[in-house]
Amino acid sequence: MKNTANKPENEKGPYETARNCRHYAMCKIDFLGSGVCESGLEKHFVSYYPQGRMILYEALAEKKISITEKCVEIADSCNLCGKCDYQCYFLNEMRPTKVMEALKKHVGTFIANGGKVKPAKDDKILSEIKKIVGDNWATNDEAILITYSHDLSPISEPKTPDYVVMPYTKEEIASLVKLFNKNKIPYTLRGNGQNLLGFAINEGAIIDVNRMKTIEFDEKNWLVKVGPGVAAFDLQKQASERGFRINASEPAALLCANIMCSGIMSTFSTTYGINADNFIDAEFIDKEGSFFSLNDTSSPNLYSYKNLQHKSSPGICVSASIKLHPVTNDESGILVPFQTLDSALDFIKDCSVRHIGLALGIVGTEYISVFLSPTKKSAAEVKDIFLNKLGIPYLVVVIGDKFAIRTISEMGFPFFDQRLFNALYLGLPSLKSAEWLNLIKELSDDEPYSYLRIKSFADLLETALAPSPALYSQEIDPELRPFFEKLFSREEMTNLVWLNMNRIMSTKLGRRKPFLPVLIYLPIDNVLVNELNDKFRLIADKYHIDNDFGFITPIDNGKRCIFEYDYFFDHTNPEEINRIRQAATEVNILVDEYSKKTGTVKGHPYVLYQGFSRKENLLYS
Amino acid sequence: MASMLSEGYRLVVLGRSYKEETLKQRISKLLQWFGIEELVGQLELVEIDFLKPMLGIPEEEYKNLCTNTEQIIHCASDTSFSERKRDLVFKSNVNSLEGILEFAANAGVTFFHYISTAYVAGANVTVCKECLSSSADFLNVYEESKAMAENIIAAFCKKNFIPFTVIRPSVVYGDSHTGRSLRFNALYFPIQSVKYISEIYLNDIKNNAGKKSKQYGIFLDEEGFLFLPLRIFLPKEGALNIIPVDYFVNATMKIIANPSPGGIYHLTNNSLTKLEMVSVYNEQFMKIKGVEIIYGRSADNVLRNPAEELFDRFIEPYRSYLSDNRVFERTNTDLVTDNLQPPEFTYEIYKNCMKYAISVNWGQSIF
Repeated sequence: MKNTANKPENEKGPYETARNCRHYAMCKIDFLGSGVCESGLEKHFVSYYPQGRMILYEALAEKKISITEKCVEIADSCNLCGKCDYQCYFLNEMRPTKVMEALKKHVGTFIANGGKVKPAKDDKILSEIKKIVGDNWATNDEAILITYSHDLSPISEPKTPDYVVMPYTKEEIASLVKLFNKNKIPYTLRGNGQNLLGFAINEGAIIDVNRMKTIEFDEKNWLVKVGPGVAAFDLQKQASERGFRINASEPAALLCANIMCSGIMSTFSTTYGINADNFIDAEFIDKEGSFFSLNDTSSPNLYSYKNLQHKSSPGICVSASIKLHPVTNDESGILVPFQTLDSALDFIKDCSVRHIGLALGIVGTEYISVFLSPTKKSAAEVKDIFLNKLGIPYLVVVIGDKFAIRTISEMGFPFFDQRLFNALYLGLPSLKSAEWLNLIKELSDDEPYSYLRIKSFADLLETALAPSPALYSQEIDPELRPFFEKLFSREEMTNLVWLNMNRIMSTKLGRRKPFLPVLIYLPIDNVLVNELNDKFRLIADKYHIDNDFGFITPIDNGKRCIFEYDYFFDHTNPEEINRIRQAATEVNILVDEYSKKTGTVKGHPYVLYQGFSRKENLLYS
Repeated sequence: MASMLSEGYRLVVLGRSYKEETLKQRISKLLQWFGIEELVGQLELVEIDFLKPMLGIPEEEYKNLCTNTEQIIHCASDTSFSERKRDLVFKSNVNSLEGILEFAANAGVTFFHYISTAYVAGANVTVCKECLSSSADFLNVYEESKAMAENIIAAFCKKNFIPFTVIRPSVVYGDSHTGRSLRFNALYFPIQSVKYISEIYLNDIKNNAGKKSKQYGIFLDEEGFLFLPLRIFLPKEGALNIIPVDYFVNATMKIIANPSPGGIYHLTNNSLTKLEMVSVYNEQFMKIKGVEIIYGRSADNVLRNPAEELFDRFIEPYRSYLSDNRVFERTNTDLVTDNLQPPEFTYEIYKNCMKYAISVNWGQSIF
């Protein structure tokens, strides 16, 4: 296999683009307000979304599967509307439409040349499944199966399921569980398959819950009950419209699956917490197909925590009552720059202990530059500006009300407020050619970032950068420019509160390459954090793996934090996959050592399937 | 270094690698810049660490170095004015002396020449004598560290019978004939600041119909001059004391050729440069009007436009040197240099220096 990750996007053919699909399911949510693939919304199987079509085309090009009835339907159902180009370009600088066109052409040519479309196989079990969910919602067609067969995890192997089932009700799931148990068919629940750890991949049956999108608000009790198919972005949108907020993880992550997997976490976890802090109740179907709710006294105690790696799933979560949080109309976001990780850690700890700010997170330059930049090339240049001209290796994102922001100002920390952030973001192309930045660094000699204290700095920055949606869109593919110009005219696209509460800021992190996050819980102990940060970097460097600091968010009043360090890899390069596997093994050993040595460090593998546990049990036992 | 090599001296450069460049790479770039690569044979390079015993080099090499060294010119220093960098500045300029002085003693050198600064005299002195400073009041940490270093060197050399000189230049700028320079701080910084600020507004006028510029009365006049209202507030009336690097080199060569033990030499300019003059030069060269110098008032209580506020921040470390009125005694210097004087800072010199600075993007693309 040829390594294609570093090839410019516009030079990539449809096959290469298809292979580079990130499997983030972002094409399943309307995060840009440009609409979502119509066939996906109608058919629900991932196969009918751009993500599924990319996987399908890749498999066809590699001659892994034949052209089947569903394959023809999938190809035909794409109306080449181009919505996926907007979404995928925003995130990954990719244009899936060319893959959609290639898929249609491939299938069309096959049929025009008299090719025989492979019919669906008769299968007794499938008939039984269809009796439960209806004819349209279960299949063993290999064109669909293949789209559920793998993710980009470097540590899991592809597995093709025998069936994919899309139930609509919890009762249907219960019946399915009983059927699968009776026939000794392994089954695996799948949300949007975002965990990238291979957890939603298996033989047997895949239960895709994407049809179960019920949302019931109970405002007087500050909760919203959601079905297992509800994505974080969709729920946040509805909650916002009602004047609330939820603690949301990745925008395309399905809430129930997310809680099941490792619990909801975000920069808002500083205030809203993690794991059991985020819900009031949840309903499950156990391994026998029976129901139980967390609030039943006879139910298994999922609030407890066991320090085990890869504990098995407690069942299928079929609904969760998620906490609603109040929102004030004076919230805003700021970015506080720091020269060292130590000083940033001191700051977030202090803020967290003093309850200053709703959301707090230290991010590195990779994170911020990738988010701000419309293209990979631009991201590399912006990263250099942040590091070498602005002298900013770390930024703390703070979301807070006017009192919190005022307090941070009184604490003496200069920061980029929303106005400066807008100027930086939409003026990015000018920033790259701004010679006056050479002097800015000198201003930091006596007091770091003292230029931010210049009263009229925002005015100057706006004059110098002339930020505008049109300027920002200059670097985008000409065909897509009008859309992006319009998109960036919308206030929320540059609003730090919106971007953070919907976790949009982190969605571009895998643009250069997919990444494997090393995630740990630990005290905000500067020595410990720095030690681990250095060791994660050394391990990655040893295996020649691109790596960078991800983020750190304080939790539980500053007693602990969540620390993510990212390893980037080219999933199309087997040799690199081999290296990242070795690195991942070494990281796990390292975290285990620290866990034993300190008694306070918890690695992510020890949290999996325990997202319902109380954070106190997870963090302090 | 270039002049000494050209005059046939054999030099041993004691230095260190910086960022990702070895000493050899750094010196090689310098030789190339001076156009004297063919003289590399007269150079010996030794990577050292001033803070380690025997300069961090093997004993045998250290001994050989001692045997082969006749004179030392100590010109390494951290020129930061930043109080926040106090520890680093003192580490570089003071703490590192022990190793090099010990080396001077071990080598039994015939002279130890120290490149200092004219501003060791302190902030509240009017006439700066050619003697060691006893001031406790300095404008910044750089001046303070250099004054302390001079005293340490003098005491050590006297105790160990090492003849020494102290060479004190004022603010050094580029070559008065060619404008070439390796550094672009001090004099260059305010000029560079005005240029960058003017570019911000020129860009606004060109690409944004001058939307922002208009708000502050900034415009491009019919003759193509940018009118940029920029008031520069200076604490008191005074002038810049600047010397070109070629004068510094020539005078230093004369001192080294004929040094007096314990001699202290001010390489300063009797012909002072008023900032108003620089501003006139700037107007002509950069095509910028509207710069006004205001003495005796603080900008703190004045409503300033964004350009003024930014400029103020940019020049803050250098503000006192822009309107300095300290007078420097030059008896020793005039004697040893046969009354060699630095030139007056004319428009021609200004133009050459700024042309060169811009051509190398203020040092960004010098190599």
